[in-house]
Amino acid sequence: MNQKNTVTEQICVPMTVDVPYRFAAGKYMARFLTELRDNGRFVGVKCPSCNRVQMPPRVVCAACHVKNDEWVELSSEGTMVGFTIMYLPLTDPTTGKPHEPPFVYGSVRLDGSDSTVEHMVNVEPDLDKIWVGMRMKVVLRDREERIGDLSDIIHFEPLPGQKRPQ
Amino acid sequence: MKRNVAIIGGGQTYHAARRHDVDQGEMVNEAVRAALKDARMTMDDIDAVFLGNMEFFEGTHLTDCWLAGSAGAYGKPGMKITTGGTVGATIIGAGMHHVAAGLFDKVLCIGFEKQEEGDTGAILSGVAHPLYGRSMAGAAVGYFAMMGTSYMAAWGAKEEHAAMVAVKARQNARKNQYAHLKLDITIEDALNSRMLAYPVRMLDMCPASNGACVVILGDEKTARDRCKKPVWIRAMDTAHNEQFEIDWRNVTLTKPIFSTACAARMYKRLGVDDPKKYFDVFEIYEPATWAEMVWYEDLGLCSRGEGFKLMEEGATAIDGPIPVNPSGGVLSTNCIGASAMLRVWEAALQIRGDAGGHQVPKEVNRALATAYGGTNWTVMTALSSSTED
Ligand SMILES: [Zn+2]
Repeated sequence: MNQKNTVTEQICVPMTVDVPYRFAAGKYMARFLTELRDNGRFVGVKCPSCNRVQMPPRVVCAACHVKNDEWVELSSEGTMVGFTIMYLPLTDPTTGKPHEPPFVYGSVRLDGSDSTVEHMVNVEPDLDKIWVGMRMKVVLRDREERIGDLSDIIHFEPLPGQKRPQ
Repeated sequence: MKRNVAIIGGGQTYHAARRHDVDQGEMVNEAVRAALKDARMTMDDIDAVFLGNMEFFEGTHLTDCWLAGSAGAYGKPGMKITTGGTVGATIIGAGMHHVAAGLFDKVLCIGFEKQEEGDTGAILSGVAHPLYGRSMAGAAVGYFAMMGTSYMAAWGAKEEHAAMVAVKARQNARKNQYAHLKLDITIEDALNSRMLAYPVRMLDMCPASNGACVVILGDEKTARDRCKKPVWIRAMDTAHNEQFEIDWRNVTLTKPIFSTACAARMYKRLGVDDPKKYFDVFEIYEPATWAEMVWYEDLGLCSRGEGFKLMEEGATAIDGPIPVNPSGGVLSTNCIGASAMLRVWEAALQIRGDAGGHQVPKEVNRALATAYGGTNWTVMTALSSSTED
């Protein structure tokens, strides 16, 4: 082939792959989600061997390889263990819509649980108003609006009267 | 190990944000050819091919089939492996096990990623459980941001310490001809770069790179017959984390997690008392600055809560007593499916004395490489110039 006639143009072809899924929650997650929806409360499971309270509930304690079957009710209050102020318009993969930045979200350990749960925090994006160790409570949607998934949680809200540690 | 296994060759592409000039197969082929040349072999010498990348990042599931030709795998035994960010090391692990077991004498291991062809954030959201936490998923940056806030609150580290990691990585990358982000930056530059998710700024995060790495493994006879500077794999180990639990390495946690559990097993097997004395160089998987300082602690290079002080002292600089990531690391180059293999390959180059501009200025006989990914798990690889340890 004559080198001079060789095609050197770079071609890139755009393509979107849209894949729908339908997930079974399973026995443990379904009970967790129905408790949240119907009674507005969080439940976990306690390992019979190491006594660790795990949320979300799951069939096996990973550390002990034993079946979890004791259910315990958890508090709606807890402690912030890590947080961020997000400045990127992250897309919510469950809805396809972006979360409007800046927004605060964090990881909270509910009282009575050894696990943490991540969600939005209802504070201004200001380091004076959010810190590790802050006490939080969960704010849920009204009963008639709850559908049995984590979107039933609106956000965490700081408990009143707290001062930032120096 | 039933049989000793050595790295008898390897190669990599240059790494960049754009590689519109090549398709996935052509890019992989560049690294395959570089590795065969390094090992002074042809594809006919290779018994089996192991290949991997991030699941569905490039929009094709069967990359082992699609790339059979350019990978050199056509008609040969082998398999595809996908274990998330760890995949590059897992591929070497699979190859190593096959050679150690006596099934093959010479295997070619390929890790690659053409990140620009897919939507990394969208596909990574699939790492999260669909019913629990996925609405908050979609980018690694939030995850490392929470690692950062918890680390600062627990130990009193400052954003400046993260900036020091950012500078070390990019200044080292400037010495590495293959690295992606070769940036002549200062601590002020890092601290003034755009805030992505407090406390993580633009220069605290890895880039999205395209690239491939190939490592060729051989049994002891092949290595001694054909290779001038074999680098021996003395131990490999892997450990998972628990789903749903402290996914971003809550630094105040005292129970062993994937990284500390894996390191403890490796050190026990090798008889390592003090890892910073035992190993001459480290190549660790740090997609964000904060992760590097947590790695120092998880690997036992310092006490819990002192990783940032190690950084501050400059101990982990390329010419320091405990050089970490002289290549520039993942912070400078992250073609994810290749990144964990690059850690092993870069560690091997240091032992061979072939790292070029980023060769550490001391004798290197032992090196440790880590991988990191998935919903938190690691693969660790200990390399040596000798089969005696
Ligand atoms: Zn247990």
